[in-house]
Amino acid sequence: MSPGLFQTLLVASLALCALGIAWRVAAWFRIRIGPDARSVTAWQRVRGVLATVAASLSGWRGPRVLGAFCLDALLLRRLFANAPWRALAHLFVVTGFTLLVLTHALAPFVTARLVPGYQPTLEPWLFVRNLLGAMVLGGLVVLVVARWRARSRMGLPHRPRAALFATLLGIVLATGFLLEAHKIASPRAFHRMTDAFAGAADPTALASLRALWAREYGVAFDVRTDVVAADVTAAGRRLHEEACATCHAKPASAFVSWPLAKLMAPVAGTLDAVSADAWLLHLHVLACFAGLALLPFTTFLHVLAAPFSLLLDAVARHGAAPARPLPLAARATRRALSVDACVRCGMCDLDCSVATLARHLDNRYLLPSHKLVATREAASPRLRQAMRRDARALADARRAADGAFLCTDCGRCTRHCPVGLDLAELWDAGRDDLEAAGLPAAATWVRERPAIAWAESLANVGDRAVLAVVDASRAPLACDRRTFSRCVQCQTCTNVCPVVAHAMDADPRSAADPGVDLTPQKVMNLLRLGLPDLALGSRMVWDCATCYQCQEQCPEGIRVADIMCELRALSVRRLAAVRDVAEQS
Amino acid sequence: MSTAHSERFDVAVIGAGLAGMAAALFARERGLSCIQVGGSGGILFASGLLDLMGVHPVVERRTWSDPFAALAALAQDEPDHPLARVDAASIRAAFESFVAALATTGLPYAPLGERSRSVLTSLGTIKTTFGVPRSMAAGADALDARSPCLLVDFRGLREFSARQIVATLAGGWPGLTHRRIEFPASGAAAELYAAHLARSLETRAVREQVIGLVKPLIGDARAVGFPAVLGLAHSADVHAAFEAGLGVPVFEIPTMPTSVPGLRLQGALEASVAGRGVRRIRRTEVRGLAFAANDDEATLELGDDPNGRRGECVLARAVVLATGRFSGRGLVADRDRIREPILGLPVMQPPSREDWHRRDFHDPAGHAIHRAGLTVDHAWRPLDGTGTPAWPRLVAVGSILAKQDWIRSKCGSGLAIATAWAAIHHLARELRAPASG
Amino acid sequence: MKYALFLGCKIPSGLPAYATSTRAVLGHLGIELVDLEFQCCGYPARNYDRDAFVVAAIRNLALAECHALDVLTPCMCCFGTLRQAIRMMTEDAALRARVSRSLADDGLVWSGRATVQHVLPLLAREVGVDALKTAVRAPRTDLRLAAQYGCHALRPSDVTGIDNPVAPTIFETLIRAAGATPVDWPRRLDCCGDPSHESNAPLSGRMTRAKIVDAQEAGADAICTACPHCHLRFDAAQAAESAPAMPTLLVTQLLGVAMGLPAQSLGLPHAEDQRADAFP
Repeated sequence: MSPGLFQTLLVASLALCALGIAWRVAAWFRIRIGPDARSVTAWQRVRGVLATVAASLSGWRGPRVLGAFCLDALLLRRLFANAPWRALAHLFVVTGFTLLVLTHALAPFVTARLVPGYQPTLEPWLFVRNLLGAMVLGGLVVLVVARWRARSRMGLPHRPRAALFATLLGIVLATGFLLEAHKIASPRAFHRMTDAFAGAADPTALASLRALWAREYGVAFDVRTDVVAADVTAAGRRLHEEACATCHAKPASAFVSWPLAKLMAPVAGTLDAVSADAWLLHLHVLACFAGLALLPFTTFLHVLAAPFSLLLDAVARHGAAPARPLPLAARATRRALSVDACVRCGMCDLDCSVATLARHLDNRYLLPSHKLVATREAASPRLRQAMRRDARALADARRAADGAFLCTDCGRCTRHCPVGLDLAELWDAGRDDLEAAGLPAAATWVRERPAIAWAESLANVGDRAVLAVVDASRAPLACDRRTFSRCVQCQTCTNVCPVVAHAMDADPRSAADPGVDLTPQKVMNLLRLGLPDLALGSRMVWDCATCYQCQEQCPEGIRVADIMCELRALSVRRLAAVRDVAEQS
Repeated sequence: MSTAHSERFDVAVIGAGLAGMAAALFARERGLSCIQVGGSGGILFASGLLDLMGVHPVVERRTWSDPFAALAALAQDEPDHPLARVDAASIRAAFESFVAALATTGLPYAPLGERSRSVLTSLGTIKTTFGVPRSMAAGADALDARSPCLLVDFRGLREFSARQIVATLAGGWPGLTHRRIEFPASGAAAELYAAHLARSLETRAVREQVIGLVKPLIGDARAVGFPAVLGLAHSADVHAAFEAGLGVPVFEIPTMPTSVPGLRLQGALEASVAGRGVRRIRRTEVRGLAFAANDDEATLELGDDPNGRRGECVLARAVVLATGRFSGRGLVADRDRIREPILGLPVMQPPSREDWHRRDFHDPAGHAIHRAGLTVDHAWRPLDGTGTPAWPRLVAVGSILAKQDWIRSKCGSGLAIATAWAAIHHLARELRAPASG
Repeated sequence: MKYALFLGCKIPSGLPAYATSTRAVLGHLGIELVDLEFQCCGYPARNYDRDAFVVAAIRNLALAECHALDVLTPCMCCFGTLRQAIRMMTEDAALRARVSRSLADDGLVWSGRATVQHVLPLLAREVGVDALKTAVRAPRTDLRLAAQYGCHALRPSDVTGIDNPVAPTIFETLIRAAGATPVDWPRRLDCCGDPSHESNAPLSGRMTRAKIVDAQEAGADAICTACPHCHLRFDAAQAAESAPAMPTLLVTQLLGVAMGLPAQSLGLPHAEDQRADAFP
């Protein structure tokens, strides 16, 4: 490749990378998750974040913040706490890659300037390069295997272009080792060197040199075209000292490329014939450029997003006002960058308090990793459009809402997240967004229509098969009329009900709290009459505080509160079928 | 089931209605250790008034203002009636003890006199009763004197209409007036419930608002009557506050069940029983009751415990059966006969189902089914099929007893309290109880 | 005595002081607490799917059973919920079969051996008032406290059974054991309003407010709680005030302070400035 082309491609990929990064980072200040995020502009967010971070770093708490940041972002403290092998592997990958970039890719600017007489074929660079490459490769393998083993039964969300980027990285490493191995074994490379530096040498000495290089430097000569001496003579050694040794150390310390070279020895000639070195070099370089250009659009943007997230986390925990939440500008930014910082490692899922529920309800949106992606989507107007057009999108969005509202806010996911996402806060904002998008919790959507309207919808359903059955396996008490045979409508349940008591001063005009529609005793009566559909849409069913006064005090031992709970589960299922009808009307 | 490590009590009371509660209280008073099983939901239907003997003979619908005279007549006419078998002094002592217990748990009664009191009800009728809660006493006084009174009701409290009461009394009480007020912070509700108003009035601000609304309406009235909503757990304080605030005697008018006085009575009795160290198990049925061969003790097998484990067994030296009648499942009416479900004791009953009821629901003589129940000997022990006591220390008290029609005689509370007293008296002697407890 | 400690979802993130103080007090009384990989008790799932709820709840109990431990929880909602799940498993054979199949997928078995206990009756009955009084070094005679029983431990009494639901006394007994004075407040057995908060916040707010006013009128210095939901609900209702009219105090904190345990081990004072537990 000509230097000019190389330069052009380098600049182009750097430019693409920079633009891509700028675009993605801008999104962190633009994307609005949570209704309160609307009240800060992007510019306010930038200023706010800078101000907050500056305030935390400049105060006496500054060292603590920096310390926490270094521990978490550089030394991966949280990851070590949760999964030490993955942390170690990640450290290997990052350290190895960074040092490779510095010492190898940027060798002319870094290593060559720092170390006089630097040659990549000298020690310790042969060893170091291989070590770093092995670290990255080994680390990658461990990470892939560990991620595969640690996945929960419900899988993990898709990572943007992770496979593509990992492949590119793999190509870079593979071509790097292969190129080095090829160069070690290649007779043509040897010829080029001897033509340039030992052109006037004596043929016998050359033959001896070849013997030395065949034995100690792994060159795979073709004895039909090259004369290789039987022994290494003193003349050969002298020639080596004069012409080669200054720039070439024995490559045996390149512990990956050296054995690879041995393996490639039989085909060294063929590879030379097809100019394998040129192909490998081009592939190597192009893969680097491609990776660079694509980086902002893949999951590996987390190399920027994760440290940023951890910085904000360190500020939140140890900064200027650790007891209080961060200013809205910082919080909104933190939410927006969460999807980019999230590496879909799945640590949040492993200890999730509702993991069993997720499996049993077959709803992956209960798990934090999936909920994160869904939260991001809930914030976008595209979702609302999709919901209107596409029944499957709507159904999926509703499942996401179910998952979001079943979260118990236990905070375990937040504690485990290695990139310092404030998931607890994100879930709150996400739920607000879901409500704004018309996907509220069941307690809310059931209350959007009066009970009689729901009952009419249920009665008017043409195909009764779509309705979830009101069956005894789900609602053993509510479905069994014997439960109510002793109900004498004494109204004790209503009299001891705090919901009815405190509904006295509700506001009939308010949507959220208009007062009681059916008292507990009326609900029981409807069930007693075998008319559950008339009660399912009642507000009382969801306003019920499950305080169990009704059940405790019922003189006939009717389990009123237990029945209310059954009705909730029933209403969620049965009314779901007519919910779309309701929304259209 | 191993009884080796079971708890052992002097008395096990099965049933937590008025009779069961009375039995438990009296047992503790005599130093007997006591366990009580059963739900107290039946008490919620009480009005708070304690009837002793209101109507006799039932068929004549003759009411009595002197309950003890009524009891004397009863003893003559129906010597087998349970109340006829308890002497007047014991009945008095029983009532005094009962209301004393209630007084200590926040539900004071007016002092018990020699005669019954007449009390205005929420239907506008006049009821004769013996024990009147203090919060209702001024009403009985006002009724006796026909003094000018203001009755206040609340918009939305559908079960109580002051206007209807006055109308029903027609000319019977000329000085009675009525006004309706708006209960504070109740704008949203089309219908109000007494218990909620009662709870609300325990908050000072609400109380003061209501007092402020009523005070200007008093005029010439010498007493003010309200539906029974003056407080729930702290009704004595609320009542006193109303009297202080309005400056005239204030009385409550008993309302239909489930009423606030019923809730108060239940709360006060549960608290009394708890306060006296009765081991109390609610909402668990008695699965089995067996008696040891040597007649020494009974084993009660209780229903499953809250952890879902097999019910515990409890030992008792004596058992009080106070399980009530049909609504509390003390008696069960099958298709063809009435039975007692725990021990299968013989139930005195009409020969066949056709004889259970008379044709006319309002027949003055009442219906034979209501006189069915357990027959007991002089020591209140239910008899088995051979006519001998089923067990030497098993007694039956309260409405489960035969030969009484407590609804028509208006003697429910008296029946419960007096028979409990008498039965415990016998048991205490039987057990020769030291002051263990 | 040894228990598997079931903290539930609210305590670790919302009220860590309850966990700290429970460990401190019970540790001081010689009760060993073990931490297992518990998950949510299933309470929120009860509104959606009965089977899922029972699987979630019983899984925890099966886990405890696997370690031959009984479960102890400081949260009344978890206590009531776990007990309810046990009752459902006992009553409904078909449900039990379905749930057992689900648990078997995780290699767990439930045979009902693990019992569920709450910290309040544990202290009042199993530890006993006498033992507590002996352990009390600094009785808090200056405090007048309103005992907040909450709902899910008292009712329904055939499932929870910690005391007489209409006339309970064990919480007042504990308060007295700590040397403080319990007040008799009319609304003491009322619900704090927390479960209604999600569906109807204004209604819930009124329920909470009514209790706070009631405690004030009864002359309480603070409301003594034994459930994180009640505790946090009272705090949240007063969050807007700079100094809440009715502070909240956990029963384990009260006892811990009375026993002379260091304030920090009881989670006092709280880091969040919205809570004004100004004790000791």
